[in-house]
Amino acid sequence: MNILAPAIYTINLNFLFMKRILLLFSLLLITGSLVMAQTVMISGTVTGSEDGLPLPGVNITVKGTTVGAISGSDGKYSMSVPASAQTLIFSFIGFVTQEVPLSGKTTIDVVLRQDLYNVDEVVVVAYGTQQKRDIAGAVSTVRGDDIRSVPVQSFDQALQGKASGVSITMPNGVLNNPPVIRIRGFNSITSSSNPLIVVDGVPIFTGNIGGTAIQNSLADVNPSDIESMEILKDASATALYGSRAANGVIIITTKRGAGARTKVTYDGYAGWTEPFRLFDMMNAAQYLEHKNLAYTNAGLGAPLHQVDDANGVPIETNWPDYIYQKGFQQNHAITVSGSSPSTSYFMSVGFTDQDGMIQNNFYQRKNARMNVDHKVNKYISLGANVAYTNGYTESPNTGSSFATSGAARLAFVLPPIIGPKLNDGSWNVVSGGIGGMGTGLAAGLGYHNPGQIFETNKHTTESDRIMATISGSITPITGLVLKTVYGIDNLARETTTFWSPVGGDGFSYSGYAYNWTGKDNRWTWTNTINYNTTLVEKLNLGVLAGAEQQRTVGRSWNAAKTGVSDPFFTTYAGSWTTGYGVPGGGYGENFYASYFGRVNANWSRKYYIEGSYRRDGYSGLSKDNKFGNFGGVSLMWNLSNESFISGSGLGELLSDIRLKASYGRVGNMFGIGNYSSLFLYTSSLYGAVPTLYFSQAGNSDLQWETSDKYDAGLSFGILNDKLQADINYFYNDVNQLILNVPQSPSKGIPGNSIPANVGSMYNTGFEFSLRSFNITTTNLSWTTNFNITWLKNEVTELAPGVVEIRTATADLETTNITVVGKPVGNLLAVETRGVDPQTGRRIYVNAAGDEILYSHENASKWTYRSDGSVAPAINTAADGKPWASPLPKFYGGIDNNLTYKDFDFALNLTYAFGFYVYAGSKAGIRDQRWWNNSVEVYETAWKNPGDITNIPKPVINDNVSNGSSFPITENIEKGDYLKVRTISLGYSFNNIWPEGMNIEKIRLYAQVFNAFVLTKYSGSDPEVSTNTDSNLAPGVDRNTAPQARTYSFGVNVSF
Amino acid sequence: MKNILKGSIIFTLILLLNGCTKDEWMNPAPVTSLSDLTVFDTKDRVVAQVNGMYSSLKSGQHLGGRFQVYNDVRCDNFIPNSSNLVTCFATWNHTVISSTNEVQNMWGAVYSTINVVNVFLEGLKDAWDSGKAKAFLTQAEYDQFVSEALTIRAICYFDLLQMYSKPYHMDNGASQGVPLRLTANKSAAGNDLAPSTVAEVYTQILKDLNDAEPLAATAHSSTSLNITRVHKNTIIAYKTRVYLHMQDWAQVVTESGKIVPASAPFTASSGVAHTLNPNYANIFATPNASAESIFSLPMTSSNNAGTQNHLAHYFGSGSGESFYLVSGAGSLVASMNAADARRVMMETVGGQIYLTKYRDQTTRTDNPPVIRWAEVLLNRAEAIVRSGSAVTQGAVDLLNAVRTRSYAAGTYALGDFASVAAFYDAILLERNMEFLGEGIRNMDLMRLGLSIPGKVGGSFGTVAAIPSTSESYYWPVPVSELTYNSLMTPDN
Repeated sequence: MNILAPAIYTINLNFLFMKRILLLFSLLLITGSLVMAQTVMISGTVTGSEDGLPLPGVNITVKGTTVGAISGSDGKYSMSVPASAQTLIFSFIGFVTQEVPLSGKTTIDVVLRQDLYNVDEVVVVAYGTQQKRDIAGAVSTVRGDDIRSVPVQSFDQALQGKASGVSITMPNGVLNNPPVIRIRGFNSITSSSNPLIVVDGVPIFTGNIGGTAIQNSLADVNPSDIESMEILKDASATALYGSRAANGVIIITTKRGAGARTKVTYDGYAGWTEPFRLFDMMNAAQYLEHKNLAYTNAGLGAPLHQVDDANGVPIETNWPDYIYQKGFQQNHAITVSGSSPSTSYFMSVGFTDQDGMIQNNFYQRKNARMNVDHKVNKYISLGANVAYTNGYTESPNTGSSFATSGAARLAFVLPPIIGPKLNDGSWNVVSGGIGGMGTGLAAGLGYHNPGQIFETNKHTTESDRIMATISGSITPITGLVLKTVYGIDNLARETTTFWSPVGGDGFSYSGYAYNWTGKDNRWTWTNTINYNTTLVEKLNLGVLAGAEQQRTVGRSWNAAKTGVSDPFFTTYAGSWTTGYGVPGGGYGENFYASYFGRVNANWSRKYYIEGSYRRDGYSGLSKDNKFGNFGGVSLMWNLSNESFISGSGLGELLSDIRLKASYGRVGNMFGIGNYSSLFLYTSSLYGAVPTLYFSQAGNSDLQWETSDKYDAGLSFGILNDKLQADINYFYNDVNQLILNVPQSPSKGIPGNSIPANVGSMYNTGFEFSLRSFNITTTNLSWTTNFNITWLKNEVTELAPGVVEIRTATADLETTNITVVGKPVGNLLAVETRGVDPQTGRRIYVNAAGDEILYSHENASKWTYRSDGSVAPAINTAADGKPWASPLPKFYGGIDNNLTYKDFDFALNLTYAFGFYVYAGSKAGIRDQRWWNNSVEVYETAWKNPGDITNIPKPVINDNVSNGSSFPITENIEKGDYLKVRTISLGYSFNNIWPEGMNIEKIRLYAQVFNAFVLTKYSGSDPEVSTNTDSNLAPGVDRNTAPQARTYSFGVNVSF
Repeated sequence: MKNILKGSIIFTLILLLNGCTKDEWMNPAPVTSLSDLTVFDTKDRVVAQVNGMYSSLKSGQHLGGRFQVYNDVRCDNFIPNSSNLVTCFATWNHTVISSTNEVQNMWGAVYSTINVVNVFLEGLKDAWDSGKAKAFLTQAEYDQFVSEALTIRAICYFDLLQMYSKPYHMDNGASQGVPLRLTANKSAAGNDLAPSTVAEVYTQILKDLNDAEPLAATAHSSTSLNITRVHKNTIIAYKTRVYLHMQDWAQVVTESGKIVPASAPFTASSGVAHTLNPNYANIFATPNASAESIFSLPMTSSNNAGTQNHLAHYFGSGSGESFYLVSGAGSLVASMNAADARRVMMETVGGQIYLTKYRDQTTRTDNPPVIRWAEVLLNRAEAIVRSGSAVTQGAVDLLNAVRTRSYAAGTYALGDFASVAAFYDAILLERNMEFLGEGIRNMDLMRLGLSIPGKVGGSFGTVAAIPSTSESYYWPVPVSELTYNSLMTPDN
């Protein structure tokens, strides 16, 4: 990779022009301030306001320069400053930063006031940092400490309810599942709505990196290494990320060393996890009674009966016992950090070992990180981060939707009158599936035996990942920083599958092994020039210019074998009789090249203006449309710095008040394939000879999807910032949506769709967040964080000629429909109106509005309710309606943190209201095939004329009346919920340790995660997404594993 | 200070250089797929595209397995072990609707092949007319490739009509057929196309086959190519099936007369020497190289129709989702003589009787048959009688040829048939026995307008008969076609 050899580059004319401008600009900056200066010595002592004791480690800098010093252990400092210096800035974590004018003095003593309300937070923004109060864009910050002890696998899981505008949905309770992250709603239809994740300046791989053993790519960042997470929401905050900014950006900053003393911390917890809100299913006696009634109702007698197990006791199996468990979890993290005047360092190692609530589902992570920053001299600084992570997941098939081996489904579908083993001790397997054991059920039921597949089959994912950056910066003159950052994200992974020949998926293969190995390598090289200055007395100016390239290459290969030679072998490397299929593989690459710039200015910290621009090129777009221009502007008025506020009595009450507005245009490329614009032919086989066939209809006009984002906000602080609030209104207009435009199947286009820039939609809403320091006395403190987001989404245009897009769950059940004038991904169903009390039949409503009854056992199954005459069959195509939206009208979180002396207590709630869920599992647990049913079915199914119920007359094999054949509105429910996410109680041992032990603090705590949920939803959990992060099919709960509740006990120690 | 400044300037230059783009990074070419611009550049690539059309035809959703399965399990011979809606349960009990996967998937798979054919025909013609292809193809090769493409397209349209339309004979093809896509689709344009009538689609099928026949190769260079690639006799054989379904008996006689000799042993008189295999079981045995196979699709462990699609999954005993044979009184199985080779190709497992034609559960290498010589002989026998309204010795000889190959004691005499109806019944019964599990049964019932008989399905209750007047007699238009093709209309 020879980046510098100019001969191999095609230099775009626009680039050349841009380059000249930037070059001129930077030269001007450099030559414009060639002033040599004399110096003056300044010294003094820094003390804290509360106790008057000296403060060591306080940062002292000359305003507008990088000249600085740090106070010693006695709080004293001395430093030489340029004669031109006017103001010193004293800053220290946990204290309010103070600016002191020199006014010719050489001794300056300062008393720093403790910052109880975090007024002076420094916030990480795109390619830099800013003071919280100087930011005109919509940015939320979540501190690493807030999520450090939460028993999750990845930081994104812990973001639930923490920031306004951010919705995090766990698809189910399977370990290490990537959550669905939406910042200000769904911003795309067939592209992705996932945000960009940037770790220490480098965009990293996201999503599921496993196969059947799901592994979240973001779990490779140890949550305890995280210093802060900034969520950039509006265009002015995100515009510098240009083409990748449409869905928002989450910037992760890892910890750095600080303080002269080496600090060592240990964080550990252990606990257990278990499922909650499982379905209440029929026991053996209820099953027999109910199913035999269903047979009788169909005129088929009562063929089912119990059989005895080896001990002569009638078989009664509680299937969840064979699927779920109490999973033990432990997590340990050790960090060592510190700094000298020239070097700071942070090192950490972490180990986590977590068993899931599903048997044989576990995750293990081993990771190490080292961050070093070093000042070579007063001009040059170097930095490096290296993080290595090894992740390993093992899992049965936990799959949602319709797999006959899906764990969650097996837990409620299997009849209680059969068991996992036969009386001779062998597995109960017939033709691969579980057997009926002579109970009158079919000899083989097709569904897999969870006892057997959990014990004999295995899916694994292992990842090895290095995320590293190296950076260098030069500060030739005061305020000017030239910086280069080169980062890599190299992810190697292997997924394996082993299916035993005994039964289940491996049966028909006589055993099956499949290995997949892939390497994804990415490098990102970013160069920036940053200049901050005060031009005339009150005009503060910041200028950023930069260029960035990013290249990603992914390679993989895979192979399978069948026919295991001996039961002893359980891996691909073992002995097998047959190679299965032709070993395959994949290759993909993409590339970005960009220029960007930002100018911000403020007058006297009252009037702010900022503009940013990025020209972005992406290789996946069509030849003439690779490049796009993105940018934004923002304005802010800080009224609290106006004399009519600060000078008046109002200033006491209103400590902060800022009005903001921004506009920007950003792009979206997530979900655009590497080669989406091309027309391709793929080669395969016809028997033994090679083939070539038309495999991709590309689009030679494919270009960026763009969003116009508008934001207006008000931030204010009351009573010395005891109460801090942000209110934002946003409107996000998404145009040229990249839509995989559905084609008539009769055209025979590969995949029946072609990506095109058509269609539009918008998201609009309000966000409100409040931070309240309710009580802040020495012994007792109580803070509350509250946030709420109202959101409205509407599709305003689809492709020409396309009036609706229907989307199926697992290609089998059409559950969602997207139409113009409604939110994306509406739930689709045929209207039902309960059960006809006279006949016990489900009442369907057809497109014409007629009520129609369904009688499964009759030759004419569909009849009009009015006169009993034969009616055309109901079907979703004609009679289905967009019934309800699965997108919440509002959602958010409430955190309460209390400390009393050495005790601390936290209670975190999340909630979402005004949305609907397709309770697809309910269709399953009411299905009248041999499947087990819920106790509700046993108790309330229609039996006699006049019965008022919503469960129809049971007729064996009736798979229509309860919604298994196609979705019915009976199974669409309100999902409103309030969830107690975490409750924790801690106790800290302070100042009781002998001096020599150097123990700063030991805290012990107990915590419940996912404590309980308040909802009227009848399924396991309304926070669910069978179709994971699909934009088009949200809100579906089909055979999904419930959420997990975790109890943990932990300790935080710092030396 | 000066050095720092110099350094900064150089540094700045370096910084800005990284915004330049490297062309091969910004315009990457895929390494696992070919561009449409290069696929007609060599003979190997053209031949690979010809094989690509066949490979599309053998999709598990179409002739790789499911088409045959649907046509068998709709009818009266099979009972499923599983109520899994993924494995043809809805087809078996006639509850498919326009959104059922079976209905949507087959439509999609067949039209996908049709487009592969249309894209190939246009591309090949362009390459030929521009002179590019003439550098490496002979006129005969060019003609042969065109004939194969046209035949594949004809088979696709014929199969679509079988599943999605009212049989031709019920109203001389006046009812709704399917959209006729005859040009290459590569862009977003042209979603809307009204369906043609059944008659119009048949006209196109016959046009394709008649156009293909003179262009086709008389024979290929190997037995396996003769079975897996279209040649002249494939086209003629297929035409006998098409005309039979149109009840154009005279044309069946004419077409079959081109290759079926007047008397035994009925070995094809021209082209590939198709003849009945003396051993019925060997037709289906590895290496699937019987001269009786006119057209069947090659499956290997590396390249097959996939799980839940391949024939052994449905008709073999081992999958848990297989279909066993109805064997009670009055059933086909009960009526078969124990010595009949076709009855011998069955086994009893767990008290149920299963076909043993397709045995390879594990590597799925059974080749799905599309058409074989026995069908041509029976097509001709039936057409001779129907066109002449009298049972002839010639027709009986043809029937006997197929029958006695498997059941030597079963020879019919001309006098065994008291009426033409008795002969038709004998033909229908023979076809039922002969082609069990080959996807012929449903087509036979429908081409004659017969009801699809009801059945009692093990633990799945009773399935009522479907008369030819029922809306369930054929499949509905898939909902996806109705949604995205605004000129498409539901057909029942």
